[in-house]
Amino acid sequence: MSPLWIVFRKELVDAIRDRRSLLSMLLFPLVGPLMVAAALTFTAQELDQNRDVELPVVGRSHAPALMAFLRDHRIELVDPPEDHLEAVRKGDAPMVLIVHDDYSERFRDARANTVELVVDRSRTAGAGDRARVKGLLRAYGERLALLRMVARGVDPQLAEPLKVQSVDVSTPAKRAAIFLNLLPMFVLIASFIGGMYLATDATAGERERGSLEPLLLAPVSRAAIVTGKWLASFVFSAATVLLTLGLTLVALTMVPLEDIGLYVDIGLGDVVGILVAVVPLSLCATAGQILVALFARSFKEAQTYLSLTIFLPTLPGAIFGIKPLEAQPWMYPIPVLGQQALLTSTIRGEPTPIYGFVLAALGASILALVLVAAAARMLRSERIVMGR
Amino acid sequence: MIEVTALRKTFGSVVAVEEVTFRAPDGRITGILGPNGAGKTTTLRVLSGMLQPDRGEARIDEVDVVADPNAGRARLGLLPDARGLYPRLTARENIRYYGELYGLRGKTLDRRIEELIEMLELGHVADRAATGFSQGERMKVAIARALVHDPPNVILDEPTNGLDVMSIRSLRGFLARLREDGRCVLFSSHVMQEVSALCDSIVIVAKGRVVASGSEDELKAQTGAETMEDVFVALATGEAP
Repeated sequence: MSPLWIVFRKELVDAIRDRRSLLSMLLFPLVGPLMVAAALTFTAQELDQNRDVELPVVGRSHAPALMAFLRDHRIELVDPPEDHLEAVRKGDAPMVLIVHDDYSERFRDARANTVELVVDRSRTAGAGDRARVKGLLRAYGERLALLRMVARGVDPQLAEPLKVQSVDVSTPAKRAAIFLNLLPMFVLIASFIGGMYLATDATAGERERGSLEPLLLAPVSRAAIVTGKWLASFVFSAATVLLTLGLTLVALTMVPLEDIGLYVDIGLGDVVGILVAVVPLSLCATAGQILVALFARSFKEAQTYLSLTIFLPTLPGAIFGIKPLEAQPWMYPIPVLGQQALLTSTIRGEPTPIYGFVLAALGASILALVLVAAAARMLRSERIVMGR
Repeated sequence: MIEVTALRKTFGSVVAVEEVTFRAPDGRITGILGPNGAGKTTTLRVLSGMLQPDRGEARIDEVDVVADPNAGRARLGLLPDARGLYPRLTARENIRYYGELYGLRGKTLDRRIEELIEMLELGHVADRAATGFSQGERMKVAIARALVHDPPNVILDEPTNGLDVMSIRSLRGFLARLREDGRCVLFSSHVMQEVSALCDSIVIVAKGRVVASGSEDELKAQTGAETMEDVFVALATGEAP
């Protein structure tokens, strides 16, 4: 039983008995998956074309052909509320269609007609339904124009001199990646959050409690003490990553992804790939946290510094979000950036080079070792041990 | 045996220890007495290898602790000024952790822990988490973990700080027992009554220097003072009694 193992085991036992460090490990993995699942479920409902949409109509009897067209396209026509403007304003009805009294007369004479669709654009709920009804009304108008031109012997092509047809080359998996871009961010944050409390408690907390000096009196090398504490934090960090990833994948199976036309294929190979990419980052994040917490004058100061570092893993995600970058080889060895690049391409279903994983693991591990060595060195400083 | 020779330690421009020389033999209790800020704790920290002296020598059983701090620590049990426990571990686990760090294993460690729990009368709290311990209980666990490797030399830095009368009495009994075992016991204090009640010889430190040393009677004879308090005031401040 080496001193490193003794310290490692004690820190784990100590942390497992501490509700705060357990909470910081267990709570975060629940947040990420819930958010992804909620966002995707919401989108699925919005885009669901097969659902019946209720449409309150004023003056339904004036336009029997239009009503039949809407009904054919799964619009359920209902009676309008008493004060339809107020109902829309208050959000009781998502929209109201108004057909004027002179509609049938103008229709018969083939004159231009106007229908009103009352909406409240400040409300995002029901935006998908409104877009669908508007689209149907426009389609009905175009069809009417076509029929009238044909009736007069005019070539309908004249009405549409330029036709725009967009060709979408993104694969369904790529479209899904837009939503799933959140997943790498959550997993990266997990690696920073998971071991943070333990790293602080085992260093700044140890000194604040007055147990650091007695500990350093034991005939054990400072490197062994720091390494034991670091590896215990790492276990918490890696466990948090594992939980976050696992729960997100479970959450994804519960979301009706097919309804959005999304196709997420994260197989066992991808999960292993994500873990291989992120676990070295856990080594690096916890090593940095140990160093920063040792440097801080108090537990509180350490927590302040460390809560700022949580922004670190969100940076590449934010940058990728604003200006999408393709993964470049130089990114791989840079901790956080490399992991982000690997995770994004893995989730998008793109081929990821093996050397990318190797470079990312090497970059993060080397930095971790440098940070741990710096922490061990710091522990030899009289100033740091005595708490300045 | 603990020996300090011409020790000097500065922090930046602050001289914590000017020049300290003394010797604490085996089988005796030696007290370092001095006002706050006299350099007692700094001297003890040099002995434990936590601080590097600017000059001078510190030896524990002939081992130079500056050159080989771990060899010195193996022969030394130190109760430092900082005596925090791990609040989520039980008293027994706190002691065991240190036992393992000092290289004890298996039956030897189990036996030693039981011995310390019995000796320090910790039986009733041995398996309780340390978070609710009284000052006295905390002190006893801190002593137990400092002595877990059964060291021949024992240093205690202000051990009676914050203790009630009963705890101080029980600590005194414990120190006397260490002396009977033939150990070298060195403890620091700024309370004269304690030092005179317990110590075989006394080293008085003021402003980073040893101003006098000897037994209680020798010190009284040397200064011509009636009580230890007068001795202390005379030596620490340089005023005549």
